[in-house]
Amino acid sequence: MMERAMEQLNVQLNRLTRSLRRARTVELPEDNETAVYTLMPMVMADQHRSVSELLLNSKFDVNYAFGRVKRSLLHIAGCGVKKCMGKLLEYNADVNICNNEGLTAIHWLAVNGRTELLHDLVQHVSNVDVEDAMGQTALHVACQNGHKTTVLCLLDSGADINRPNVSGATPLYFACSHGQRDTAQILLSRGAKYLADKNGITPLDLCVQGGYGETCEILIQHHNRLFQTLIQMTQNDEIKENMLRQVLEHVSQQSDSHYQRILISLAEVATTNGHKLLSLSSSYEAQMKSLLRIVRIFCHVFRLGPSSPNNGNDMGYNGNKTPRSQVFKPLELLWHSLDEWLVLISTELDRNRKNPSASASSSEIASLLLKQREVDHSGSTPKLPSLLDPQIVMETEVCTDREDVISMTANRLSAVIQAFYMCCSCQMPQGMTSPRFIEFVCKHDNVLKCFVTRNPKIIFNHFHFLLECPELMSRFMHIIKGQPFKDRCEWFYEHLLAGQPDSDMVHRPVNENDILLIHRDSIFRSSCEMVSKSTNEKLKQGIAVRFHGEEGMGQGVVREWFDILSSEIINPDYALFTQSADGTTFQPNSNSSVNPDHLNYFQFAGQILGLALYHRQLVNIYFTRSFYKHILGIPVNYQDVSSIDPEYAKNLQWILDNDISDLGLELTFSVETDVFGAMEEVPLKPGGTSILITQDNKAEYVQLVTELRMTRAIQPQINAFLQGFHTFIPASLIQLFDEYELELLLSGMPEIDVQDWCRNTEYTSGYDPQEPVIQWFWEVVESLTQEERVLLLQFVTGSSRVPHGGFAYLMGGSGLQKFTVAAVPYTSNLLPTSSTCINMLKLPEYPSQEVLRDRLLVALHCGSYGYTMA
Amino acid sequence: MDLVGTAAQPTYVNTPYFLFKFLVIGSAGTGKSCLLHQFIENKFKQDSNHTIGVEFGSRVVNVGGKTVKLQIWDTAGQERFRSVTRSYYRGAAGALLVYDITSRETYNALTNWLTDARTLASPNIVIILCGNKKDLDADREVTFLEASRFAQENELMFLETSALTGENVEEGFLKCARTILNKIDSGELDPERMGSGIQYGDASLRQLRQPRGTTTQNKQQCNC
Repeated sequence: MMERAMEQLNVQLNRLTRSLRRARTVELPEDNETAVYTLMPMVMADQHRSVSELLLNSKFDVNYAFGRVKRSLLHIAGCGVKKCMGKLLEYNADVNICNNEGLTAIHWLAVNGRTELLHDLVQHVSNVDVEDAMGQTALHVACQNGHKTTVLCLLDSGADINRPNVSGATPLYFACSHGQRDTAQILLSRGAKYLADKNGITPLDLCVQGGYGETCEILIQHHNRLFQTLIQMTQNDEIKENMLRQVLEHVSQQSDSHYQRILISLAEVATTNGHKLLSLSSSYEAQMKSLLRIVRIFCHVFRLGPSSPNNGNDMGYNGNKTPRSQVFKPLELLWHSLDEWLVLISTELDRNRKNPSASASSSEIASLLLKQREVDHSGSTPKLPSLLDPQIVMETEVCTDREDVISMTANRLSAVIQAFYMCCSCQMPQGMTSPRFIEFVCKHDNVLKCFVTRNPKIIFNHFHFLLECPELMSRFMHIIKGQPFKDRCEWFYEHLLAGQPDSDMVHRPVNENDILLIHRDSIFRSSCEMVSKSTNEKLKQGIAVRFHGEEGMGQGVVREWFDILSSEIINPDYALFTQSADGTTFQPNSNSSVNPDHLNYFQFAGQILGLALYHRQLVNIYFTRSFYKHILGIPVNYQDVSSIDPEYAKNLQWILDNDISDLGLELTFSVETDVFGAMEEVPLKPGGTSILITQDNKAEYVQLVTELRMTRAIQPQINAFLQGFHTFIPASLIQLFDEYELELLLSGMPEIDVQDWCRNTEYTSGYDPQEPVIQWFWEVVESLTQEERVLLLQFVTGSSRVPHGGFAYLMGGSGLQKFTVAAVPYTSNLLPTSSTCINMLKLPEYPSQEVLRDRLLVALHCGSYGYTMA
Repeated sequence: MDLVGTAAQPTYVNTPYFLFKFLVIGSAGTGKSCLLHQFIENKFKQDSNHTIGVEFGSRVVNVGGKTVKLQIWDTAGQERFRSVTRSYYRGAAGALLVYDITSRETYNALTNWLTDARTLASPNIVIILCGNKKDLDADREVTFLEASRFAQENELMFLETSALTGENVEEGFLKCARTILNKIDSGELDPERMGSGIQYGDASLRQLRQPRGTTTQNKQQCNC
């Protein structure tokens, strides 16, 4: 009895000393919940001795699950603490215990790729294929996370390599879904099957969706047939083109033979596709898109070239190897068909031309056909519709009509032509048109013109190449120019902004450094400075302007900036532009060189004009007809002089119209110019001062004098201006317009049409058109002078200009934004305010028309410039 | 092809072994399009118009235990389309040469069509002669005997078909496909040669005569 008591005491004492020595209790709390939180940090820190000791002396359930996700200590150890895990296992921790998501410690280790721990752990489990709630095993998660050694370890421990989860996804599927090339490689070399999930999605689909070229390549290495599948995927419009292209690019770069094989296969698919497109029963939309997509990918891969460096950019032949152009061979079939089709249509056109009574002949054919049909079906099937059925008669006519063959095939043929162009140009250095294509266009000139004339949309949809090669463009120019201005505008902006998405977002976050900080008092100089500091790319993406010392930001401020800056550009103080005789239009000043930096300023002016056009902003300048022509690259003639100096133009016209032999004008090939007050004689051609103008050479004189006046004298200025302009607006695109249209594009409509304005105005926050305040407002606007109306417009929209097409096309920060009037509760003396971003006038609910008029005019005369937050 | 299929039960189709390019040729009004329509849709096309240019159809068939996809190009018979349709001949493995048994004129034109096919397509092209509109026996202008003699002389297979009733239509296409397969097996036709009109529907079949181990299930990659 005594002995036992002594023994107990000793144990107690021992515990006490141990506890004191370590300055903490050596026993776990009684309840599991508290105990587990004592142990968890120790496990995490891998304090295996302490853990072991505590477990030894307690009744703690080592498999106790805790926390939100119901983990056990072994799960915690799964984060990678080796020694502790060993101890836990010694204390009979259950390896198969799941948390609330069904994850075991093995899953945990597999996720984290702790192979060495996993190695220990798998010794203790009967089944490495423990599934979580989704049916995923450790192998699934290890593959997904790309842990090579973990995967190997699991496979060596007998994990099921083809195990599907609940949705039928195998480990290989998981590896592919995350582009884990290495684990996919291991799985495939260990004989993993290539299986789709329950929705039929295959590992290859996943790789392509994710653009995982390397993983695709591994799949193809092991399952050669997937190569064709991959190629066929180019026809599937649900697959993202850039991802698929990325994959094909990668695979093609592996070797020359891969490169050849991919391209030849793509060419074959494209050819079949093109032929299908030329079958009228196929869906034009789907086949056209499919063909162009395949050809785009094809050209892209072709341009990249094979991987081997010695092949580099060699476009031709390389030793004994097959030439790269070999890959175009399958497409020749398609080009041949295209050619035959165009020849057919050309003969049809000729026949129509020779036989103007085409309608008669076609109805003849129709009647023949009807007879034939009668024979075909007589007595065979009573259920056939009556031959007199008007629909059948009509259809027969439609189908035999030659005209109709052309209109039915034009779109399809044009799409194939576009594909042909793409293939031709990808074999040429950038910017050069393939001679083969030029020859093609020349050969089929009449047919192509006929297509375009019948359906000008074709130009916009398929004949982009016209823009890239001026020599071809010129053939179609008159047809293009014949299209409605609106359509050309759309086409212009569509091509201009291609590749620059959402450039006009209202509150796009603007990088503080990209804001153009402009000083209002030196707007020209500070703008020039800021624009030259920025890059063209940034300016294309969007412009943010802030005036020094003002808070205003947004599209309204940008509009005002363009407005003021453009007026400043023509400020006579800079001597950059001179007024023409009527005082409203401008052209470069031939004496601008008085400002030594003038050419740089002209370039800047061109940039600003280009930028304004690019961002659909209007400027406050009207140029002379001849200067617009210079921008467009159209040659000027003597009639254009009239826009600079109508009187002078009249005189030139007179010389041309009348016999000048006996008039004794004593004109020579020279002109006198006013150079800052002093008159100088400038010869029009070498020795011109001594050559008299006669009846025979007067035409030459007029031409030379015109050129001098409008071109030669200001050639350097024009060149500098265009250099700036073309940084934003390509010359090929601007030529879609004529000089009048260019003026509309740049400067908008000069007059303000109040009725149009009123028609295109919206009302919010309680106003409607019947409201007395609104009625008064328009009566006041009617009574304003033109100048005051411009002020009002400027006050609300930030610009004094109305866009082409009228108020219906008023632009706000995010596209079209109509002029809006919003109600504000009236308090005495309150002035109207505006939000230029959204073209909104905040008009207080004035008690009478007189007050409204008075307050409005005060606001206009004080506040149409400058921005503060009201 | 629906990649992200919503259907719970996806339909798996064995990937075709081969892809044969077929042509349907013959004079206007002989019923070429109707034959194709009958073969593909299993019904008669009532409101058939003249074909403009070339039309396209395809069907996967099983011939002698092998899966073959027939890619069939149905050509316009009208003379004015002749140049266009000719450009489709290249690389055809088989052709249905069609005439109308009620029209001697279409029968007389056969020689021309045959010459075209033999010269423009591969010289090994397998051609089957089809006397269509068999259902209109009362109006017959070309006898069976006469036509079969013509077929024999020109080494063609021969059938009389009816696109209306469907009689012999399937047989026509299958017979042609079977002959091509036999020629491949005997080595007379080499699918590897460019322009043979034969493609492996599946790249894994480059080792052609090896028996296929496991039939891997794969979604049909056909877009036609």
